[in-house]
Amino acid sequence: MISNMLRFSPSLFDGLDELFASDFYMRNRAEAYPQVNMGTTKKSVEIYLFTPGVKASELDVNIEKNLLSIAGERKADELDKDAINRRERFVGKFKRTIVLPEDVDPNMTEAVYRDGVLHISVAKKEEVQPRRINVTV
Amino acid sequence: MTTNTRKNKDLNIATEHSAMERSQPQDLLPKADIHETKQGAVLYIDLPGVHKNSLDIDVDDNVLTIKGRVELKTPDGLNPTYMDVHAGAYKRKFTLSAELDSSKIDASLTDGVLKLEIPRSEKHKPRKIEVKAA
Repeated sequence: MISNMLRFSPSLFDGLDELFASDFYMRNRAEAYPQVNMGTTKKSVEIYLFTPGVKASELDVNIEKNLLSIAGERKADELDKDAINRRERFVGKFKRTIVLPEDVDPNMTEAVYRDGVLHISVAKKEEVQPRRINVTV
Repeated sequence: MTTNTRKNKDLNIATEHSAMERSQPQDLLPKADIHETKQGAVLYIDLPGVHKNSLDIDVDDNVLTIKGRVELKTPDGLNPTYMDVHAGAYKRKFTLSAELDSSKIDASLTDGVLKLEIPRSEKHKPRKIEVKAA
């Protein structure tokens, strides 16, 4: 039984490789809009949403407790009706919800939109931030 | 497939369109739309995080190369926890046919989208031929 599984596994992986390499897979994976990068520092959680082509005023950003949601719509570009088109870029409505660590303070949120990237910074609660304790002699 | 969508080879612009064809795998392949009209071609390329100072547009012969560095403001001591965007630069090449005039490219960058307008060369613009009465 085990040897059978072992014998099967290489061919299974071959199949996966093909799937991962296919244009079909690459295209679909890349459809994710907006793409997100996230990180933490001792004092904050930093979120970067890649939303090219959407005006800052058209982005709907909400934070409730530790749930951050971003919604918006990217409209199609106006075109000549005779144009021949090849499209890869996302068009339509989008919404992405991000679960933040539980120790964030939603009242301390800042958002900046620049060059098609929305940067949101949420502070961690004061009591969880590391503190240096001075020892007096 | 609609009648106004044609295969890449029929367009006056050719480009690689999967990550497998990239020359340098560490660069991101930005998404692009190509529209062709009688006047020329319009390209829209998604380059989120690229400021105009870190954008390079190069035309060598008939090859148009777009390179852009992603510049994010990151605080000190940032420890990444999740990443969709793994590289710090975009790169993509487009091959233009002789019907397009690569010396007259108009470029603008707004909210992370680069728009390029490339006119058709004068001799390739559609022309109406008047038939004179004999």
